Amino acid sequence: MSARYGMVIDLDRCTGCGSCMVACAAENNVPPATSRATPRTGLTPMLVRKVSNGADGAAKREVFIPISCMHCGNETPCVSVCPQQAVEVDKATGIVMQMPQRCLGCRYCMVACPYHARYFNWWDPAWPAGMEKSLNPGVAVRMRGVVEKCNLCHARLHSAMEKAAANRKKEIDPADYIPACVEACPTGAILFGNLADKNDGVFSAAHSPDAFRLLARLGTEPKVYYKSGQAWVRALAERDSERAKESEHV
Amino acid sequence: MSELLVVDRRWIARGAERSSTTRFLLWLVPWVALLALGIYAAGLCLYYGLNQTNMDNRFAFGMWIFLDLAIIAMGAGAFFTGFLVYILKQADLKPILNSAVVLGFICYSGAVAVLMVDVGQPLRAWFTFWYPNTHSMLTEVTFCITCYLFVLILEYIPVLLRNRQLRKVPSFLVFEHQLHHLVPVLAALGAFLSFFHQGSLGGLYGVLRGRPFAFRQGFAIWPSTFFLFILSAIAVGPSFLILVTAAAEKLTGQKLVQPGVFRKLGLISGLLLGVYVAAKAIDTLIWLNITSRAVGFAPWDFYSYKPFGSALLFLEIVPLGLLPAFLLTVPLTAKKRGWLLCGAALACGGILLNRFVLTVQTLALPTLAFDEFLKYIPSWQEVASFAGVIAYGVIVYSLSYRYLPMFGRVKGADTNVSVG
Amino acid sequence: MKFSRRDLLIGSAGATAGFLLTPVPWKLLGDVSIWTQNWPWIPQPVRGPVETTQSFCTLCASGCGIRARMAAGYPVGISGVRNHPITKGALCPLGFAAHQLNWHPQRLREVRHRGRAASWAEARAAFEKARKEGPVAVVDGRSGRAASSVLEAFAKKENDSYQVVPSVESQALAPYADWSGDPVSAFGYDLENVRTIVSFGAPLLDGWGAPGRFTRLWSERAVGAADPQLRLIQIESSLSRTAGCAWQWVPVREGSEAQLAAGVARVLLEEDLVAAQGPMPQLSLVEVAAQTGLTTEAIRDLARKMVENRPVMVIATDGNPAIAALNVLLGAVGAPGGIIKRGERVQPQAPYEASGGSPRAILLDATVPWEFTPKTDGEVFRFAAWDGGGNKADWLLPAPGFLEELTDVPTAPTSAVDTYAVALNLVAPPAEIKGAAQFLLELDPSLRVVEQVIHRRCEELFHARRGMVYAEQAIAITEFDSAQKFEEQLRKGAVWMDSPPRISAFRCELKEWPAENNVRQGTNWAAAWAPPVLPALATKLYQESNLRELPAGRQA
Repeated sequence: MSARYGMVIDLDRCTGCGSCMVACAAENNVPPATSRATPRTGLTPMLVRKVSNGADGAAKREVFIPISCMHCGNETPCVSVCPQQAVEVDKATGIVMQMPQRCLGCRYCMVACPYHARYFNWWDPAWPAGMEKSLNPGVAVRMRGVVEKCNLCHARLHSAMEKAAANRKKEIDPADYIPACVEACPTGAILFGNLADKNDGVFSAAHSPDAFRLLARLGTEPKVYYKSGQAWVRALAERDSERAKESEHV
Repeated sequence: MSELLVVDRRWIARGAERSSTTRFLLWLVPWVALLALGIYAAGLCLYYGLNQTNMDNRFAFGMWIFLDLAIIAMGAGAFFTGFLVYILKQADLKPILNSAVVLGFICYSGAVAVLMVDVGQPLRAWFTFWYPNTHSMLTEVTFCITCYLFVLILEYIPVLLRNRQLRKVPSFLVFEHQLHHLVPVLAALGAFLSFFHQGSLGGLYGVLRGRPFAFRQGFAIWPSTFFLFILSAIAVGPSFLILVTAAAEKLTGQKLVQPGVFRKLGLISGLLLGVYVAAKAIDTLIWLNITSRAVGFAPWDFYSYKPFGSALLFLEIVPLGLLPAFLLTVPLTAKKRGWLLCGAALACGGILLNRFVLTVQTLALPTLAFDEFLKYIPSWQEVASFAGVIAYGVIVYSLSYRYLPMFGRVKGADTNVSVG
Repeated sequence: MKFSRRDLLIGSAGATAGFLLTPVPWKLLGDVSIWTQNWPWIPQPVRGPVETTQSFCTLCASGCGIRARMAAGYPVGISGVRNHPITKGALCPLGFAAHQLNWHPQRLREVRHRGRAASWAEARAAFEKARKEGPVAVVDGRSGRAASSVLEAFAKKENDSYQVVPSVESQALAPYADWSGDPVSAFGYDLENVRTIVSFGAPLLDGWGAPGRFTRLWSERAVGAADPQLRLIQIESSLSRTAGCAWQWVPVREGSEAQLAAGVARVLLEEDLVAAQGPMPQLSLVEVAAQTGLTTEAIRDLARKMVENRPVMVIATDGNPAIAALNVLLGAVGAPGGIIKRGERVQPQAPYEASGGSPRAILLDATVPWEFTPKTDGEVFRFAAWDGGGNKADWLLPAPGFLEELTDVPTAPTSAVDTYAVALNLVAPPAEIKGAAQFLLELDPSLRVVEQVIHRRCEELFHARRGMVYAEQAIAITEFDSAQKFEEQLRKGAVWMDSPPRISAFRCELKEWPAENNVRQGTNWAAAWAPPVLPALATKLYQESNLRELPAGRQA
């Protein structure tokens, strides 16, 4: 199979509830925060960011943008910089695979990622006593000092492949492979599928006029698309839009 | 105690003037204490993990990486001096070569030590050699730095073995003599390796497509920062050498090298600095107007965050770039020691600023349209670890000066004292 | 032969070279890498085959369908159930990590009496003693369950009182109960048929009702078109998530919602936008504009928009009669797309009264919210699975936690149609755990046990021959051969849903416009979450990101 798995996230449908964040953490055995963790040292392979249009009062608008690894398809920044090939692009699926077991923890990939989609284990993973019995057996627990990120719930893909093999089928049944975040979204804002398949709903969604990718001009060909009918939201794709020129900084 | 004094004296070369043992120990005490603190801080990081630092997911590289890049640039004096002496046949720089090697050894071993604490899983450091990624600049850096450290060790051993007591061991003398033949080879190898790793350190940032502040166009697979880093390293290496040697002269109260050596180093440093500044200016113009704009990043995306405004760019190029180049080359100022040292210090400052801007400012700047400009202040463990490295350097340099022929004799040519 | 130093050196060099050619150093290197992957202090998941079963989350009254992946007897993953007719596969953000709750550090594992460890025997003795001295009160936090009937039966036997703490959403329906004389648990919101919703601060898209019900409706009908089928008008003082997603956000001054309702009612009546003739509110439009911070034109516009796309329904956060009165005016009571009365199988309940009779002891079921503190002199027996701290209960009694108790799932408070389901206990509770119903059954073994109650209810439903059963597919209940087969299907995770009721008009008598005093209770995104603690992974939402604030009164 040579698929290109990707997502189209409808920002008009995202209510910022955070179900995707929690479901992702539960599926991937991400540890809960230590007491000293902050939003800058947390482990959130799926992170929903709240962005405002900068106005006040009645003109204020907010949008919630779920950000996970974009699974960049061209000159993937993190893949080319890892000194020991602990990241690679899986040619069969287009998924950017991270191997925490080979990771040295140099964090060069984190510097390289423009989407800040990579997270470092600053602490040893720890759960309250006994809670490790609630961990997902399909996903290895990492240790401190390594980088991790979204891998499109590769354990679920693996189960789907095993199931197909057991049924003597060559291709997986798409219904068997649904990442945790996609499954969890209560409004169905995240569409997941094979971008290489023209019949897949995700293909037409990705090519609709309202669809955009973040920082597409960097040329990394991310496989996570966003969609919105609101012009100010679409303008968040690149820095040099009208909105970005407002001096919200200094 | 007098026993100790006698033993100590025996390790010092005959006829060499050195301060008393007590005074020397007193000198060492604060540095040893600082080193102990640094080891403790590093130990905390190794034991508890990198949460002991103030680095985070957005500042994945912090003070340590900045200082690593800075040290390695400063330590470029080692290979460059060797290159000048053995390949370009500048024999009048020979007297300073040994100390350059010692300085290089200190810089590189210190950098590697800090790197071992900086990574999350130091026991996996060998994975880079086992699963190398040929596309990654960091693989290149790792290979070349470890090989070059090995080269530096090989270059340091002869200096070590020329210690008064160690010379007495015949096999050491033989070994040292054999190594003699290797020295030009080592110098060439060192130059080759250094060329690549100094460049790759620049390449580390220049290839970052995801960070338009750092990303540069280049030549084939090498971004312009590759060449700019090499140029800046060979420009600052001699200056740093001048500063350290001058400081050693001040502290020991002895004249260690002929003034001509300083002037020559200064001239070389200044000329290279001038070329570097010109190259950097062109590179900056291309980067700001073409490379970054093409991906939607305008100059104000980089320079509108106080205190990191465009004044910093100006500072790097003019007061810390053109000015020292001028001070170091123009005879009016280069002749005077005070101005020379000033120029050398400004040159070092400029390169420090350059490394800082590329390591720290790159990460502080937002990439996504809704990102913010971030702040980062290193924790005491980070500062202490690095202070420990400086202390280590001072201790090694002090010990080398006291017990080894780092500089040879200034007046007269004593053929016994070979410095190459 | 003389063995010289040279020989030693050559020998060593040779040995080293040879050694490097053996597998030994490379295997050792490999072993080192394995050691660095698996330090002994890294927690490991359980081993064993993974099976998927279905049940229901009972942490709030929504009763969302959940699919639990089980390994070695523990749930290792929770997801929603797509085929659930109401929740449609959605869960709240906390539900996805609910399976961690049973190991929360604040899990109650032993009986505690005023801070010190005690035993069930002591608790029982104390309760019986109190009961001999006078009447006790049994307080239920979620009525309608099989366990509720046990609690109620126990209380009724000896003239004790059985009281119910109404849920946040039930409180909003209280005015209709007052005006019509029907019990509050009979009412629901017919969201499925409405075309305009005017929400006075109700967090419809973020913690109101069952997570999937309105979010899916809204996603299908309210998004993506310039003139959507479903219009959500959110009246709220700040930009909440619901307000941000709404078709129109009306930013009203905080605390002036009731005044706005009065103003809108005036416009509706004056401009003949509704069939009703009155009652007319006291406030003038200018006064309303001043108090709400809106212009009179904006208020008029709001009123007109409300009736443009009918049916229209008003939803409030609390039981404010001034807002509920709008529904009466709009004809949204007892009509499709409005406040409707559900089926017939409803028992009236008495709401909790603070000073009802001064009981000698109060027994609080685990479903009663943790913040609930009864004002009484009697001894308080508090059932809970987690210790929320700061509680002034005399007795803390460890109740079953997540998926540890067999229970049933009655109709959710906001539902438009009756449902029924059985939540199997998938996990064996630790020793010393006992629910309130079980505790009372030990005191009075003549009561019917929970399982029997469930059994009876299944039989009743089966014999009524109404409704559909939603498992993999939807099957009519009449297709089942026996009540037992029907119950079996429910125990496997199916949901019974009543046929949509004939919506009968019921009369709400409004003699005059209610006074516009506001008793606004704040809600937050975790308001409906019953446990006083959050699952461990909730830190992703409020500590490891800036997405949410830690809800007031919750512990991490």
